[in-house]
Amino acid sequence: MDKTLLEALVRRAGLQKALAEFPDDVAAAAAQAETISEKLNAPADPRAEPWPPMKAGEGL
Amino acid sequence: MNAEVAADLHWLSVTDAAHAIAHRQLSPIELMQALLQRIDRLDPKLNAFIQLHADAALAAAQAAETEIMAGRPRGPLHGVPVGIKDIIDVAGLPTTCHSKVLENNIATSDAVVVTRLRAAGAIVLGKLSTHEFAIGGPSFDLPWPPARNPWNRDHHPGGSSSGSGSGVAAGLFPMALGSDTGGSVRNPASCCGIVGMKPSYGLVSRRGVFPLSFTLDHVGPMTRTVADNALMLEAIAGHDPLDPGSAAARAGRYTSKIDRGVRDLRVGFVRHFHEIDTPADPEVSAGLQRVARSLQMLGAEVHDITLPSLGEFGAVNRAILQSEAWSVHARWLSRQPENYGKLARRRLMAGAFYGAGDYVNAQRRRKEMIAAVEAVLRDYDVLLCASSMDPACRIDDPIEVERTYPRQARTPFNVTGHPALAMMAGLSKSGLPLSVQFVGRYFDEATVYQVARAWEQSAGMDKKHPPIG
Repeated sequence: MDKTLLEALVRRAGLQKALAEFPDDVAAAAAQAETISEKLNAPADPRAEPWPPMKAGEGL
Repeated sequence: MNAEVAADLHWLSVTDAAHAIAHRQLSPIELMQALLQRIDRLDPKLNAFIQLHADAALAAAQAAETEIMAGRPRGPLHGVPVGIKDIIDVAGLPTTCHSKVLENNIATSDAVVVTRLRAAGAIVLGKLSTHEFAIGGPSFDLPWPPARNPWNRDHHPGGSSSGSGSGVAAGLFPMALGSDTGGSVRNPASCCGIVGMKPSYGLVSRRGVFPLSFTLDHVGPMTRTVADNALMLEAIAGHDPLDPGSAAARAGRYTSKIDRGVRDLRVGFVRHFHEIDTPADPEVSAGLQRVARSLQMLGAEVHDITLPSLGEFGAVNRAILQSEAWSVHARWLSRQPENYGKLARRRLMAGAFYGAGDYVNAQRRRKEMIAAVEAVLRDYDVLLCASSMDPACRIDDPIEVERTYPRQARTPFNVTGHPALAMMAGLSKSGLPLSVQFVGRYFDEATVYQVARAWEQSAGMDKKHPPIG
């Protein structure tokens, strides 16, 4: 992941302390997410709903 | 109770122990004392416990004996000891999640599963090792050491319910609770050669269990035999109106048809998981083939079937798991990252780097994957597939742990929520357990147990114990 993007995401996530103390771990975490994200396929149908569906009036 | 059984109380099954106690052939105090002595001798080598609650367990055994002698049996598990994974609340005991972050977190009440086990008469022995927050392990940089595999203490017992798997396999206790978000009941069951069930999503309450990933978390029983597992599930299953994920489905009688055999059942063999998607160790492949052939010999129809690839199941599981886990841990990771072990820190922080689209797309693909598995289960009673692609690796070899950890076929059924059971398929040449997994229709755990029991009995899997103590 590009360093500028990484630092921006770290700031947004509030992980500045982690980046200062454990830079290798932050980099590894970002790399994991990037790898998984590349492997994810969007559904072929753009109208496909996510799971679980919202169901008003049930449960709580 | 004959002398031979009395000398081997630690290998007594839940079913036999409960029966003997109920019929006054075995004192729950005698059983508890035998197990406490074994724990005292072996746990320093296995690290299954984070906190042993010996005095309270012995007192509860004395109370159980009094109740039974007075003709007041409490339930089907009366007097039988149980271990609890340390992400599950037991009133008055710490729920540390094996982490420095929660080192002093004392639970004020029992989780619903613990309440149900106590109502059935089970006795809580203590809290068991886990991977940190059920995700970071095996780790050597935490306040407690990781659990070890009783088949070979240099090897990983699997995780994250490591202490549960290690302790049940070693005969420290006959049953334990685990939790399973990406395979954490079934992985230690596979590595330690015991029986681990991840029930249908929503069948067992998660209330009082520290969350890893809300839509993937399951609580499940871990035992040495299939019948014990079914009995334990009967005790803990059932609707909980205060768990938002709890299913309206009624708890079943999971022991009811356990001995019916498999004649005329249709079994779908997901061969591509271990032959194409993630090629398995040859001994694992041979073990799976043996199971398939054995079920055929017993009268089942076995046919190859196809599901989405393990790679895609894994990506969907990981994106959902890490995104949801991040929402739980963001504040602590921001303020006290030094209090996490390295593995948990890396795996949990990953959730900060997904986009909203990743999470939603993963949940949308999840729905399609559920439909794919459901379509197959319209034609088949049970699926047969790999659990772990390798025997347990050495625990002190981080490269091998990292290589083998994702080589598994358990995450698909966290994604879909179908019941899935892992158990022993044999032993490798090096004496480590090989594993198999059976998967069923939603809330049809009874048929999964039926098939698992048939395999267990035909191969004598319940007679194999690790060479320890």
